[in-house]
This record gives sequence, structure tokens and C-alpha cells, in this order.
Amino acid sequence: MPLVLANGLSQNAVELGQGSRVVMLHGLLVGSSASWYFTCAPALARDHRLLLYDMRGHGRSSRAPRGYDTATLAEDLRALLDVLGWRGPISVVGHSYGALVALRFALDHPERVHKLALVEAPLPPSRLPDLQAFFALDPSKMAESLPQVTRHFLDRRGRQAEKLLASLSHLCFETTALADVRAERDLPDKELARLSAPLLVYGESSSCREVGERLARVIPGSKLVLLPGGHNLHLESTAELTQALADYLGG
Amino acid sequence: MTARDRTAVLQEVARLIREVVGEAWIEDKDIGMETSFGHDLELESIEFVALGERLQTHFGKQVDFVGWLSGKELDEILGLKVGDLVEFIARCL
Repeated sequence: MPLVLANGLSQNAVELGQGSRVVMLHGLLVGSSASWYFTCAPALARDHRLLLYDMRGHGRSSRAPRGYDTATLAEDLRALLDVLGWRGPISVVGHSYGALVALRFALDHPERVHKLALVEAPLPPSRLPDLQAFFALDPSKMAESLPQVTRHFLDRRGRQAEKLLASLSHLCFETTALADVRAERDLPDKELARLSAPLLVYGESSSCREVGERLARVIPGSKLVLLPGGHNLHLESTAELTQALADYLGG
Repeated sequence: MTARDRTAVLQEVARLIREVVGEAWIEDKDIGMETSFGHDLELESIEFVALGERLQTHFGKQVDFVGWLSGKELDEILGLKVGDLVEFIARCL
């Protein structure tokens, strides 16, 4: 699929597989459509029509200077779905900050969301483990707080590292991404309670785990699944996460 | 599938890789069966996604690139060679 013009941005979107429609959102900074493409998406594509896309500032989508709050990112998603003709109810899966965008989208457009799966949604967003690490570190130490596969690229100090660092440094220093995330408010229980029956997946050793427990308490019909690992479950427990998503999304 | 057909598939795959990367250095780079996507070409993950898209468009449904990936661990994907992909495509055609 070529780049899709939606909400004033060029958005890189990939559609895979056949079946009921599912859009998958990646996490902030080092995430992209590749986060799902090389982990859970191939198996899920057997029974679902998947849409993976790069959020603004990530992957091959426009490097927008601002608009990294969940409301704007949810609006990017709405516009993308409209352009692609995905107007009926769909399922939405998000990891980390992408899960918060999914959550925002479900609250803003309840009629468009069939099922909602939140993987390691951090609330409030300033709890985002990557982000906490980023705030605390010197830029030269940033790499240490990144997932192993990302560090693998950085350690080789080649073209991949160069591209990754260029993208990270753009997001961190030339956009409002970090400030937007920090300014993002927590969602009150009353608002969360408007959602229904989401799948909540958290890592047993994740610093976000108690967020999952809170969401499970507050949102009616929630199903909380704990998997071995920390924040990056798509990398740490790929098979288990894929299975949990497949069971929840159905055939 | 003959060796000649494999050569044709390799040429097509190499052409698509050059298209996806779209930078000057790749034009002169030798891309053969033993060339690895990660170590030799240093393809970004997002470029590999774009390559998958182009393969699908170019070869059609008979080449199920994503289905092929579904049986692989991330480490295995990182270590793939151009030849692995060419062999896979050759088996599908």
C-alpha cells in the first residue's frame, strides 16, 4: 500500500491477511508498524484483516513537529480508517502509548470499536517506562533503556543504528512528543467505566502491572492476562501474546 | 524451478530491495544469494516491511510472505539472507 494522506499527514499503512478487521497500534519512540509485523501480526493475519501503520513521527509516516497527544493521534487513526474505508466496527489492539491512543479512540468513537485489546497501557502516560528512563538519562545513555532488539542494532553502530538514532533524536528534540506525553492527563475511573470487556495484557515483571489491575477493576467485563516479561511483551512473550490476542479476537 | 528461474527471481528481489532503500549506495552494492538483510545490507525493520509489501504486489497471492514469516522467530528473521527469500519465492511460483 502506498503512503495514505489522512489528517494532513502522509501515513505509512500496511494491510495484511483476510477476516474480521483489526487495527494494531505500536508504542512511542522506537515503535513502528514493524513492531507488530515481525512479531504477532503474521499469525493473526491467518484469521483477520490487519491494518498496521506508523504513527506520526515514526517509521515512514510524516515527521510532524507536534500533535503527539492521544487525542490528536486518535484523530489521525480516525482519518486513516475513513480514507481506507474502514468505517464499520473494528477491533483495536495497542501496545504501550499506542494502547492509550486505542483507548482514546474507543472513548471518542464507541460505535466504531468492536473489541479493544490494551497491551501494557501506562496510566497516567508519564509512567511510560521508556519515557521515565529517557527523562532520567543522558542522551548518550538512551540506548540502555531500549528493547534488546533495538540495542542489537545500536551495538553494531552501522546504518541501522544511524537511522534509529536520527529518528529518536528527531522525536525527542525536534518535536513536542515528550512534552505532549508528559502533559497527558490520567483518565478518571468514571470515564474508563464507559468502556466494556477489553482484553488487558501486562507483563508479570512490568512496572505498569498495577495499571492493568486498576483497569481490570474499573472497566466492566475486563479480562486481565499476565504474561512472562516486562513492558515489551510483543518481543519478550511473542507466542503467548499472539495466542492471548487470537483467543480474544476470535476467528 | 531451474537455476535460470532462480536467477530471475534474485534479480527481481534485488531490484525491489534497491527501490525500497532508495539511496545511492545500494545502486552499486552487490546483492547475491549469500547477502544478508541485516549484516550486509543493514536494512531497517521498516524497510523490510516495505519490501514485503512490494513482494506481495509484484508476485501476487501465490507468494505468502507474511505466512512465511509467521513460522519464524525474530532472531531468525534478523539473520535472513536474500537467498532464503529467493528460495521461498521460487518454491511458491
